[in-house]
Amino acid sequence: MVGFPPTPAEILALIIAIVTSHQFITIVVFPGFIHLLLVVAFLTWYERKVLARIQLRIGPLYAGPGGILQPLADGVKLIFKEIMIPYKADRPLFLGVPLMLALLAALPFAVIPFGQNWVIANLDVGIVFVFAAASLFPSMILLFAWASNSKYPFLGGLRSLFQQVGYEIPMWISTLSVVMLAGSLNLVDIVNAQSRIWFIIPAFLSFIVFFIAAMAELERLPFDLPTAEPELVAGWVTESSGAIFMLIFMGLYMKLYLMSALVTVLFLGGWWGPAFLPQPVWFIIKTLIVATFIIIPRGVYPRIRVDMLIKLGWTRLLIIALANVFLTILLLSSGVLSAWGWL
Amino acid sequence: MVFCQLGGGCELPLISIPPDLTFIVLAAVTIIGSIMALQAKELIYGAVALAVSFIGIAGFFVFLDAPYLAMLQIAIYVGAIVVLILFTIMLVRREATDELTDRPERGEGAVGVWLAGLIAVAISGVAALAGPNLPAEPQPASLPISDLGPTLALQYPIPLIILALLMSAALLGAMALAKLEK
Repeated sequence: MVGFPPTPAEILALIIAIVTSHQFITIVVFPGFIHLLLVVAFLTWYERKVLARIQLRIGPLYAGPGGILQPLADGVKLIFKEIMIPYKADRPLFLGVPLMLALLAALPFAVIPFGQNWVIANLDVGIVFVFAAASLFPSMILLFAWASNSKYPFLGGLRSLFQQVGYEIPMWISTLSVVMLAGSLNLVDIVNAQSRIWFIIPAFLSFIVFFIAAMAELERLPFDLPTAEPELVAGWVTESSGAIFMLIFMGLYMKLYLMSALVTVLFLGGWWGPAFLPQPVWFIIKTLIVATFIIIPRGVYPRIRVDMLIKLGWTRLLIIALANVFLTILLLSSGVLSAWGWL
Repeated sequence: MVFCQLGGGCELPLISIPPDLTFIVLAAVTIIGSIMALQAKELIYGAVALAVSFIGIAGFFVFLDAPYLAMLQIAIYVGAIVVLILFTIMLVRREATDELTDRPERGEGAVGVWLAGLIAVAISGVAALAGPNLPAEPQPASLPISDLGPTLALQYPIPLIILALLMSAALLGAMALAKLEK
């Protein structure tokens, strides 16, 4: 195809072929890196604006129209700040784990379908892939907390571990009923199965359990015990500064976007919507609405106690999720759903 | 090649990784991870190296066309078991772990090397004997995942039930132990 040595025209043609190929665009531009970075920047601004409106403040204002360029200013500031490493901290882990956190949060977007063709990898085990990547989060947080060599981060890390490992289980089980309804672990198939009815209606209990578990996984209020300011300074992120802080928060906001996208895929019909807007636009609109509902409680609710957190996860959510699995089996075996034309 | 099979529909002409290279890289990751898990001076690094070696094994599962198994390997072994190990290490005082990590005697190391060499020779001998009988192109068992449940429940019901009983016994035992503590 390409001679040796290649002529400049051949190299140019090859580069154009690569850059315009569907893989390159999906990986680098749209559901991939550029889109993710833009959304993460937008979400930090959006959260501050939403919280400001709830508390009758204005929020970011001066950088750009409505303060929309504030994330850029923050990013530049954080990159140029000094990275302070605590005394006797574990340097390789302290510097390496934040990078892994950001990478791990970006990884599951490889299988999230933003449209019929807007998916990087159409994996048959998509939902399991997302959960496998998400299950690495608690260990990374614990390692970072330990590497900080400081009391508050370590306590926050342990709390985060208990919370995330405990709420993973109701999350997996509540997903089970969606998987049974769609008959597939493939996220594209799950969205395609919702062309007639969104799974939020036949699996409403699952949706509630999944949403609460997602809030706990994200350590959002009322579940922000691992980063509780009055008790633990800033929990497991206390010792992070500069670029380390930025990487951790990029990871956290990407995870917020990931969980909202998962709720959209599993329960809100993914990209389905009236045809006057393209599929990815519907997907992003739905995802941002879900993200709004995850952000709002931060301005509204107080923090719950540790024992309430444990009790809620292990005795309420788990049982509701299990009950919903049996409910879904009943629904499917009675044939009601297909009789009504829902599946 | 592997990545193309995973994603489905590989159009880019440049990305084609020979299977042998994939195997060698995965084997290196797994083996170096295991050795570091044993040799690490700091126990935390040992646990991290163990996680790396588990991820290498998950890579083998992907390589052998079993992505579901690979994902569960990562979620359970790396996501749960390594976390448990990390948690245990962190709860133990550092002085206590320092005493445990002393080096093995020189004689013990020599015995280990000899045993490993023997096992390697035995495995390569068996492989050399069985080599010609192996199919040249391993056939991917492209079973859909939806067949996994019926296969387990209908073809192997008794092992499944025994496993379930074992798990519940372990769970009950753990609960009994926790009650005893009080």
